[in-house]
Amino acid sequence: MNRALPLLMLLVIGGALWLRCPELAERPLHNDEAVNAIKFRDLWEKGQYRYDPNEHHGPTLFYATLAWTRLTSAPTFAQMGEARFRMVTVIFGIGLLLLLPLVADGLGRGGTAMAAVLTAVSPALVFYSRYYIHEMLLAFFTLLALGAAWRYHVRPGLKWALLAGAALGLMQATKETFVLTLAAFAGALVCNHLWLRWTRVPTPPWLHTDPASASHSERRRIAGIAVTDIVAGLGMSLVVAVLLFSSFFTNASGPLDSLRTYAPWVNRAAGASPHLHPWNYYFEHLLWFHPRKGPVFSEALIALLALVGGLSGFRRVPLSGANPALLRVLASYTLLLAGMYSGLAYKTPWCLLSFWHSAILLAGVGAVTLWRSAKSIPAKAFLGLGIAAGVGHLAWQAGQLNTNYATNRRNPYIYSQTSASLLELVDQVKAVAQTTAAGDHLLLKVMAPESDYWPLPWYLRQFDQVGYYGNLPADPYAPIMIVAAKLNAELDEQKTHLMVGIFELRPQVFLQLYVAKDVWRDYLAKRPRPSE
Amino acid sequence: MNSVRKTSPPDFQLPPRRKLRGLAVAAGLLTLTALLAGRAGAADELVPLVLKLPAPMFIGTPKDMPASPNLEKPSDKPRPPLLVPKGVSNLAPASTVTTSSTNATAANLRKIVDGSKEPSDAGTVMLRKGTQFLQFDLGAAYDLFAVVIWHSHDSPKVYHDVIVRVADDAEFKTNVRTLFNNDFDDSSHLGAGTDREYFESHEGRLVDAKGARARYVRTYSKGSTDSALNEYTEVEIYGRPAQ
Repeated sequence: MNRALPLLMLLVIGGALWLRCPELAERPLHNDEAVNAIKFRDLWEKGQYRYDPNEHHGPTLFYATLAWTRLTSAPTFAQMGEARFRMVTVIFGIGLLLLLPLVADGLGRGGTAMAAVLTAVSPALVFYSRYYIHEMLLAFFTLLALGAAWRYHVRPGLKWALLAGAALGLMQATKETFVLTLAAFAGALVCNHLWLRWTRVPTPPWLHTDPASASHSERRRIAGIAVTDIVAGLGMSLVVAVLLFSSFFTNASGPLDSLRTYAPWVNRAAGASPHLHPWNYYFEHLLWFHPRKGPVFSEALIALLALVGGLSGFRRVPLSGANPALLRVLASYTLLLAGMYSGLAYKTPWCLLSFWHSAILLAGVGAVTLWRSAKSIPAKAFLGLGIAAGVGHLAWQAGQLNTNYATNRRNPYIYSQTSASLLELVDQVKAVAQTTAAGDHLLLKVMAPESDYWPLPWYLRQFDQVGYYGNLPADPYAPIMIVAAKLNAELDEQKTHLMVGIFELRPQVFLQLYVAKDVWRDYLAKRPRPSE
Repeated sequence: MNSVRKTSPPDFQLPPRRKLRGLAVAAGLLTLTALLAGRAGAADELVPLVLKLPAPMFIGTPKDMPASPNLEKPSDKPRPPLLVPKGVSNLAPASTVTTSSTNATAANLRKIVDGSKEPSDAGTVMLRKGTQFLQFDLGAAYDLFAVVIWHSHDSPKVYHDVIVRVADDAEFKTNVRTLFNNDFDDSSHLGAGTDREYFESHEGRLVDAKGARARYVRTYSKGSTDSALNEYTEVEIYGRPAQ
């Protein structure tokens, strides 16, 4: 068994990579991914990053990308591809597996192994591992904080307090929603305390502190934690957050901005946002997503196993061999966090990762609980086959959602996804520009209300003469113009330009492509014969 | 002997102050000439005018549009009516419909001429990816005045390479005429067109056939902004027997 677990983990990591890495560049960049990539450009080319408290979340994504690009000897920004950026979140997605040993004695060996398998194949985790936004980093740092806190609980020591503090600082520097995670965790600790008081359960022997750390037990404590460790942990958290928000002491207002940011976010959460959805939004997307003309996508198996795993924590000795206190805390944390996210009017589907990952940890324990509760061999065989089929189905869904349904509205995890049609527009623009003498210096004008032209700044990054306008400027004409269809511009009325196509930016949002007549004539004459 | 005094004509005798002014004018002219010469020289070395262009504005996550039709209505201008001779009728229901797409059965293709224009699942015929056509054999030559095409119009979308052609023979080799073509880059290899792309709507796309006389009609398309497939809800062909 000692050798089997590492071997299984290796296999699981291989499987997780197999699901996450193929065709990373295939799905067109989402608006948010492109904004993140273009924001990274300044950090890469000029060494500049400035935290924006109004939008775009924290700095960890950009500094992690910087580390990755330096480690891999990246080319110029114009030559960087989508896969390079998405590999950053893939690494953090795989990191969730690598952190599991921190809580392995709490979940039990079997529970840890099953949690690893479900982490590897969960369609939500796979999909957002391939999405260049902050969410997977938040899930990673949350598990790091939880793991360090658990290790501190098992064997108190300064190093675990410092690690937990650092993870907390990284969570803060990743996304503002970390406060919900903290609140849920604090609430879960309170729930566990109340449960223990209510049931008058004496502290089990495995919750005693390690004798080797006796010196800790003699120190002054708050809620069982040495004050010095609390101070050290919080200090470390502060140092990490200040370092990152101040862009390594180059932006004095950054740390203060990290607090100011809650004003706009609170407004959005209260409803001043276009992302308002009903309370059951996350559950519908996770448990039974069945739009017209599409298959059912469901991670209900994980929810079911998580329920079993969570409930098992309320037995004195769980069948799985997991630590009941950890299970209770995880169960309460998952419920509280899911409740908070569901209660807020503001919802985007990737926010579900925060509570879904902890549900997956519980599901691992739930699978083992069911297995051990099956007494007969036929029952075990039936259960084993059922869980194996369920895991296979989850992996199949993960594969489908990242290939055939990567940009399809029937995919529960896409949201305002850029259409593949936009890539046709970009290819057309590049093909036309290459037949002109100006080439990449050709003048392009992009016009769309409310700056609704993203991710075009990413896709047109090779051009150095691109103007972006929020409306039709006084002189809109240029050799190539990309214009939002809703402007009804009709820039071909003067017969100097042709409207050579309408392309979809996102579902139901369209762009028109205008090309100067002489440029288009040259293009038709010079271009290679288009293939079918 | 007359002595001739070689003196300058009085006109050129300038007082000292005027001399100075003259010199200044001459210097000015020289400078201007030099400048103009300089400009002429610079004209040989044209450099591109670098405009100060607005940079992109960073925005947050855009709204996820629900899948309801016509949220972004591209134009609210009503289509002007097409004037046709009295007595024309829809010839499509009586025609024989075939297609380049190998997946569609004859029974399925009848849905395209059954008069139902609702973009329901049951009423929409899907043809394969790539450039595909529907062919209508009218049974005899007719004078055609309009071809109206409804692709799937359940949500705003744009079909690419929409081409309408008529011919005298089923192979489209004799007397082929193109009534509509928005394949700007000739990616369907039927010649580059100059008609605009358009949004699908409940009105369908009306193509003026201008009285073209033909027995066969083909409508082409090459996928849409929504899908690589070619969807059809209905086609109507208005004409009258050749006169």
